[in-house]
Amino acid sequence: MTLGRTAGPGLRGRTAAPASRGPRGRLASAFWFLLPFALLLVVWAVVVAATGTPMRIFPQVTDVGSAIADMWASGDLLRHLGASLRRVGVGALLAVATALPFGIALGASPKLAAFFTPLLRFSVSLAGIAWIPIATLWLGYSDQAVIFIVWNAMFFALTYNALLGVQQIPIELIRAARSMGTGRLRMFWEVLLPGALPSVVTGLRIGLGYGWRGLVAAEIIASSAGLGYALFLAQKSFDTDVVIASMAIIGVLWLLMDRLVLSPLERRTVERWGMKSVVS
Amino acid sequence: MTALEISGLAKEYVDSYSGDRVTAIGEVTFTVEEGEFVSILGPSGCGKTTVLNIIAGFVEQTAGTVKVGGRVVDGPGPDRGVVFQNHALFPWKTAAFGLRMKGIPAARRREIALEHLELVGLAGFENRYPHELSGGMRQRLGVARVLANEPAVMLMDEPFASIDAQTRRKLQEDLTRVFELRRPTVFFVTHDIDEAVFLSDRVVVLSRRPSRVREIVTVDLPRPRDWQGTTALPEFREIANHITALLSEGGDREGPELTAA
Repeated sequence: MTLGRTAGPGLRGRTAAPASRGPRGRLASAFWFLLPFALLLVVWAVVVAATGTPMRIFPQVTDVGSAIADMWASGDLLRHLGASLRRVGVGALLAVATALPFGIALGASPKLAAFFTPLLRFSVSLAGIAWIPIATLWLGYSDQAVIFIVWNAMFFALTYNALLGVQQIPIELIRAARSMGTGRLRMFWEVLLPGALPSVVTGLRIGLGYGWRGLVAAEIIASSAGLGYALFLAQKSFDTDVVIASMAIIGVLWLLMDRLVLSPLERRTVERWGMKSVVS
Repeated sequence: MTALEISGLAKEYVDSYSGDRVTAIGEVTFTVEEGEFVSILGPSGCGKTTVLNIIAGFVEQTAGTVKVGGRVVDGPGPDRGVVFQNHALFPWKTAAFGLRMKGIPAARRREIALEHLELVGLAGFENRYPHELSGGMRQRLGVARVLANEPAVMLMDEPFASIDAQTRRKLQEDLTRVFELRRPTVFFVTHDIDEAVFLSDRVVVLSRRPSRVREIVTVDLPRPRDWQGTTALPEFREIANHITALLSEGGDREGPELTAA
């Protein structure tokens, strides 16, 4: 009786999960994921055709498609994509490496948290884009300035969520670890970090979103390569097809990052450990 | 040898709502001998769990000392293993985490972990995460985790309180069996009189707040014990009735029974 009742959710979760990830389930989920985008393209094509909107105002779907093909053929696409991905990657790694230890330290110490929380709240509104003038002043119109903006945009969201994550770890878990003689380093890696992970993943999602926006803005202002720069350049010469193409690529990259990096991370950790409901 | 020595323990705190100073624990003194099973009972709100938390080093006392193996302790440490009421297992851990803390090599760690899983009846479950286990199994795992670390004293904080009655009986019997086999030193917090008598060698009965030791009752029942046989003994009833009377003299007869329900 008890066994069935208490183990129920976990077991159900485990049997349901592989079914939805089988080849058929994967196809179905891809279909439902892509459907809204397909509809958007259809509506777009129909509306532009029906209203006869000129290309300079808004391009047709096919124009954007050929713009992407042209960007690919000329090598511009890869160049911009490479520059942007490298900057996001480096900025995100720096943000994770700095914000996680800081946020977890804050979460573990009520005094530190009380001291820094007002500053963190203050900084959230300024994170990222508002720093572009200062970043270009310090670092010039360079890669470093853009990376700084990505790092800055992500840092506060990540720190704040890591702090919350640690504060949400049940006190008994911390006590259990302490009564086993757990040292500081082990406490960080084996108790605080995994315990805070559900919240940290949320922080990564939000933070990466901020990071991408910061990237695009910084590339428009402070760079001569990257998707943001391509967007800016195309706008200057009224190439709306390239503008929309760049926007579409940025959005797709973000979706890919979420599906290929964040979701698998979540599946292997917090879902596997039963810290997040699989049926949600 | 005395494994655990509690003398003159007192705890005062300031109520954060009213601002009043409250004396939770008046003066508590008792000892637990090596290989002895001692339970602590008292009216609800008398601070039994606070006594355990002070021994574990989670909460600081206002006065008094806690000695483990003759040494005064301050703060948590691996000499005192704790089994928590809501098991406190790490959702992300399958193997015996505490053993690694002691610097035991991996192969031996695994051996010890498997041996203790078998001891508590969880052989074959070594690769499960806690959320894949039932409530009773989780608490068994909590016991195994502490036993595997071989602490000087095992502290148990109402470990079976949130488990259904049938499973609880089984867990109590299995705990007795493990205790009789291994003879660890156990300090056990409970509000269930029958549970305390069934498991213990001695029962510390506390008064109402500010709590003091009313009496330390010796449970001279033969071991090995099993639920049916032991509770049917006239001595068992006698001791249980005596403790019930002690608690009701405290003026809070309903307390422990209400929380037990």
